[in-house]
Amino acid sequence: MKKIAVSGIGIVAPAGTDKEDFWRNVASGRSFVSPITHFDASAYPSQIAGQVGKLDLGNLSPRLLKKLDRFSVLALVATGNTLRDAGIEVTKEDPYSIGIFLGNALGGWLYAETELRDLYVEGRAGVSPYMASAWFPAAPQGQVSIHYGIKGYSKTVVSDKASSLMAVGHAAKVIGNHNLKFALAGGTEAPVTPYALLCCSTEGSLSRGPYRPFDKARDGFVVGEGAAVVVLEDVDSARARGAHIHGLVTGFATFCDATDRIMPDPEGKGLARAIGGALAGAGYQPDDIDYISADGIATRLGDSSETRAIKDVFGTNGHKIPVSAPKSMFGHLLGASGAVDLVTTLLAMQHGVIPPTINHETPDDECDLDYVFNKSREHRIDKALVISRGRGGVNTVLTVERS
Amino acid sequence: MDEVAEKVRNILVESLTLEPEEVTLESNLRTDLEMDSTEVVELVVALEQDFDIKISDGEITNRQSVGEVVKIVRGKLAK
Repeated sequence: MKKIAVSGIGIVAPAGTDKEDFWRNVASGRSFVSPITHFDASAYPSQIAGQVGKLDLGNLSPRLLKKLDRFSVLALVATGNTLRDAGIEVTKEDPYSIGIFLGNALGGWLYAETELRDLYVEGRAGVSPYMASAWFPAAPQGQVSIHYGIKGYSKTVVSDKASSLMAVGHAAKVIGNHNLKFALAGGTEAPVTPYALLCCSTEGSLSRGPYRPFDKARDGFVVGEGAAVVVLEDVDSARARGAHIHGLVTGFATFCDATDRIMPDPEGKGLARAIGGALAGAGYQPDDIDYISADGIATRLGDSSETRAIKDVFGTNGHKIPVSAPKSMFGHLLGASGAVDLVTTLLAMQHGVIPPTINHETPDDECDLDYVFNKSREHRIDKALVISRGRGGVNTVLTVERS
Repeated sequence: MDEVAEKVRNILVESLTLEPEEVTLESNLRTDLEMDSTEVVELVVALEQDFDIKISDGEITNRQSVGEVVKIVRGKLAK
């Protein structure tokens, strides 16, 4: 595929609400997971999460905020950050040449939960009239479009935890078509709510303790909230306007396992195919890759099938490529996780440092790659692979390179 | 403004997070207060609860002014 420039980064995550803070924090190898404060989680098996603290809401008015679920608010803030970082003023561009591509897995559950409770307890009149436009998955796309005046081809991608990486991949493929000059792409998720947490718990993949991918003592992931949005544009156009290019998106592929509604294919065949497809799309040989950002879901089958797929594609060289899951530091942002991983990878490339997979204590025979456990490592990255997987066997892979 | 008008204004000020001086009897709900249809629903629910009245669908729309809304409320309170 044609190489596409990433000319803007906007991140709102438990490890930082601007890219400098976020980078410093993930490079430190510390944990940004804490006891849940958004609600009383004492009756839940998992009582920890990655939570975003105080947010600079800029010009978002209280009148607007009361109509929005938190996942839209996070998306609006991340979009503002990415536009600023890219130096784009929407009012000075053709609004029909800018699109917004956002992924999420759950929709706006805090709003939905609260209003549905009111519906059953107080009846119809108890429900906020804003409920209908607050909770649904395309709400962040719509709110971003309205708030920033973005009118070009846009799309919401819902594909469980792979949603945002798929949104970025889709945007990278369509840019240049549909009159699109700038594609804002990423994802948002606000899952630290009673019902969303309950659903993650009953699925059986939520950890009670630390989030430790690729570790024998793992017991699942920890949820986190946040949003990440990048600006994609044609490389020549970015250079012509003097934009800083954070890196290039070079390949994208996605395949499905078609095996189980929750668990991945134990052999990781769909993932191996997606890795191979992204490499082929980028025109890379497996030896070209010098870092892999892993999905790292921290279930036995998730970790072992991911490891197996990497070994299938990279052969014995797979043991030499550093693989890490930086989300172990701040939680799994579900539908926003892939875009966050992309941002982390681009920053890692810029700084020549790989953020680690933390909380590791016990080696697992089934996971025998170099997972950069517990401490960051200096390492030059020229070409990297980002993996994002969803329930039901969604496997999405993006390749990026230094500009 | 009488008591009913004051109460209607307070509802609008609170629900739209406006300053009291931004809401007058002449203010048009759509052109001046920029209310959309969902904000009108919020207003109707608040009026029904605060004045203990029933307002039918479509009786209050954002084409009206605050004064016209006050008149509708007064008419219902008089019954």
